[in-house]
Amino acid sequence: MNIIKKSFLFLAFTVLLSSCSDESGPIAPLPLGAYENGVLILNQGNFGSGNAAISYLSNDLNTFQNNIFSLVNPTVILGDTAQDIGFFNDLVYVVLNVSNKIQIANRYTLKNVGSITAGLTNPRYIAFANGKAYVTCWGNGSSATDDYVAVINLTTNVVSSTIPVIEGPERILEFNGKLYVAHKGGYNYGNRVSVINSATNTVSATILVGDVPESLRIINQSLYVLCSGNPFYAPSETAGNLAKIDINTNTVSSSIAFPSTTMHPLNLDFYNNLIYYTINEKVFRLSPTSTTLSTTPLLTTTAQGAYGIYSFKVQNDKIYLGDAGDYISNGKVQVYSLSGALLNTRTVGISPSGFYFN
Amino acid sequence: MTIKNLVFSVLLFLGAFSFAQSTLVTQIEPVVIADNVLRKFSNSQRLVTLNDSIISKNQPTLTALLNFNAPIYFKENGLGMIASPSFRGTTAQQTVVVWNGININSQLSGQTDFNLINASSFSSIAVRAGGGSVIYGSSAIGGSVHLNNELKFKNQFNNEIQYNFGSFSTNGLNYKLLLATNKFSLDFSINNVASKNDYEYLDTEQKNQNGAFQNTNFNLNFGYKLNNFNQFKIYNQTVDSNRNLSGTLAADSKSNYKDFVTRTLIEWISTQNKFTSVLKFAYLSENYKYFEDKDFNVFSDGKATNFISRFDLTYKVNSKIVINSIVDYTKTVGFGTNITQNQRTVFASLLLLKHQIFSKLLYEVGIRKEATSNYESPFLYSFGLNFKPFTWYSFRANTSRNFRIPTFNDLYWQGLGNRNLNPEIANQVEIGHDFLLKGLSFSMTAFAIKIHNMIQWSPNSGGVWTPNNVKNVLSKGVELNFGLDKKYKNHHLLLNSNYSYTLSQDQFLQKQLIYVPFRRGTFSAAYSYKNIGIFYQFLFNGLVYTSSDNENSLKSFKVSNIGVDFKIDQIKSLKIGFQINNFLNQNYQNVANRPMPGRNYNLTTNFKF
Repeated sequence: MNIIKKSFLFLAFTVLLSSCSDESGPIAPLPLGAYENGVLILNQGNFGSGNAAISYLSNDLNTFQNNIFSLVNPTVILGDTAQDIGFFNDLVYVVLNVSNKIQIANRYTLKNVGSITAGLTNPRYIAFANGKAYVTCWGNGSSATDDYVAVINLTTNVVSSTIPVIEGPERILEFNGKLYVAHKGGYNYGNRVSVINSATNTVSATILVGDVPESLRIINQSLYVLCSGNPFYAPSETAGNLAKIDINTNTVSSSIAFPSTTMHPLNLDFYNNLIYYTINEKVFRLSPTSTTLSTTPLLTTTAQGAYGIYSFKVQNDKIYLGDAGDYISNGKVQVYSLSGALLNTRTVGISPSGFYFN
Repeated sequence: MTIKNLVFSVLLFLGAFSFAQSTLVTQIEPVVIADNVLRKFSNSQRLVTLNDSIISKNQPTLTALLNFNAPIYFKENGLGMIASPSFRGTTAQQTVVVWNGININSQLSGQTDFNLINASSFSSIAVRAGGGSVIYGSSAIGGSVHLNNELKFKNQFNNEIQYNFGSFSTNGLNYKLLLATNKFSLDFSINNVASKNDYEYLDTEQKNQNGAFQNTNFNLNFGYKLNNFNQFKIYNQTVDSNRNLSGTLAADSKSNYKDFVTRTLIEWISTQNKFTSVLKFAYLSENYKYFEDKDFNVFSDGKATNFISRFDLTYKVNSKIVINSIVDYTKTVGFGTNITQNQRTVFASLLLLKHQIFSKLLYEVGIRKEATSNYESPFLYSFGLNFKPFTWYSFRANTSRNFRIPTFNDLYWQGLGNRNLNPEIANQVEIGHDFLLKGLSFSMTAFAIKIHNMIQWSPNSGGVWTPNNVKNVLSKGVELNFGLDKKYKNHHLLLNSNYSYTLSQDQFLQKQLIYVPFRRGTFSAAYSYKNIGIFYQFLFNGLVYTSSDNENSLKSFKVSNIGVDFKIDQIKSLKIGFQINNFLNQNYQNVANRPMPGRNYNLTTNFKF
């Protein structure tokens, strides 16, 4: 009896011990943070007002929160005129144009990690390659010759080198170790894409596209560049075009021009083998193999009370639109199904300028 | 057109009449200030005049002076930075600054920066709330601020040197000379204010890293009395300002802004019996340069020049009726980095009448019509009453239609300006009660202003901003003022308090306009005994919204200043003052994320000889 009792105790003890030390098995992993499984919505804020903010909307559209960065970090001001967000490993990098800085936080908890303030003059957009961050910078907006791409060492968070580029570098995209920079032109009107080799940090090519290249996507191993065309207030207004670039030869292999000089497309995206873009308050889509543009929009936002489309993203079988309204009041985000049915509307911060899925 | 013709005929008639009446030689009231219509035709509105003793008690900028002494709300981008004033829930562009009778709002931006105006350059500053476009033209919707240099023909010779220094390495030096005989009068002043302005942002580790400024004002005003009937006067002001533009809590700044402004006015005043005619020529020029990076010699700039010729004729029909007619021709040229060169000529004619029906009741009427090729100009009018049944009480009522013409930026901004803009039109009505008894005063004014066709820069669905006549605003509110001025033997007590409540709504959104406080109050008290004086100033500025949906706001603030001054008896003319601004060290912001300084000090020495 005694032996049985002892072995039972031993058994009980070992079971207890093992259950304490072993957390694997059927128990679900802890969430990485409150802001996982959703989209970070970047609200640009007003120039000179320091009211940039981030909102969160969960992928199931049920959880929504505004001002998440300042809620998590009440003593830190995010900054002035938020331009772009980039994710790298567990971190989120927020590019703040007027603040001339990048604020770094944990991408899932939004807990502040620090900031990069030196070496960034008018930073615009961010991409990552070769373990480094590449940030397009205008330099002084009124100078056409001091524009550059800042290369940031992500271990030390220091701008380790700069790559001079032509005027007005804007969106930047990484693919296969190369960085493609669209030159919207800053205070002027650009018409080129620069190609940067991240192994040497030099510009290996510049490609003439259309006027005002606005957005870039890699689609089926080709680079697509959506050019808006010169706006009406430019010296001469021009039509937009969609250029397809062979990334092996860095040449434009085909291009579709928009039919009217007053049509200025924006927001190129690619989802489920379809190309998406917007013109004013309308969303269009077409097949990458199509040689003509669609004439009827997939959806028009005005019926749902949105004014225009300031930001745009297709993800998780949904279309996300940001409406900046009058730019001096809180903007709206609308989520549509891929067939164009409105699923959800949220009031966000001032000038929602981008969607970044976490 | 018919109105214009009517005004024309009246003017012609008056002109002819004036020449027919040149035999009698009695002089009417001497014209001391160039703005000769200001006091004559402000009987149905509240006119507050700040004389040089109040001006000298305050720090030299017009912003500091009026913030604590007038019902004007200021939006100030940090100490010394661009300061835009507004009356009665309107905007800075709907507020006019009148320098010696001439409207000096910028032709480019449509407003005047009150931090560029050195108050000590003027003999008196008057604040007139309410519409004044009939007299002062564009922008006189919410109210007007009048800067006057008085040129008196009486023997005097005064030199005054004022030096002040204070926190944030602020130094100010003023020199003023008044020299006059019964034949000529000279008013010369030069002042220079420079500051590092590197104050700490309270409760942070940041400071105002790019706030340094230096402003120089040069004034030369000269009058010559040819005989009892003819006077010549020349007024000149030059303002040279070099300011770095402060950043915000969220962003440092590297930018710099330079202004260079000149104003010249020549007038010939001729009085003949019941007539006073004033012929004026004015030339105003403004020039700004904006440097995005102060260490980098690339800038954008803008220039505008304004040439004004005006003939102003007053006819005093009898002791009860005064008629004033004015014709004015203004030619403006503007050009710059962002605006293509353009010019505009405006011909304006106006007629003013004041009639004292009997000793207790007067009314005043004014009409104005402008003709220009650039836009359709509305017929403007004003009508006011003043009824004073008792010596201690008067009632006033005023209604007027006022306007603001589009600025050169609105019209001609490269690519975006809208050449089809029309003027903003504001119809307004106000009534007021004024009580005055034995040094105690109380006044109460209720107003309503309806602004149509307000010009607003707004984005289209593609995010491109253009100006359009789209906004309608209704602003209504009350203004209260209490004052006490008591002297007893060597004691002198002065109290003054303003309170205003303003509802100013965008009629489409049904929301309060951004940066218009609902409540605003000031209180000041000054007590002096013999050669020692102390004073206290207090400002309460209520919550303002910072977004048009009224979802974002900036909290209210209270700020107080105290000061003391001594006159040194042995040397009669030396006065020393010490002032503590924001002595409770309040952390406050006037514009979001742009903190104002905490407690700071200022010492002034004033030497008259």
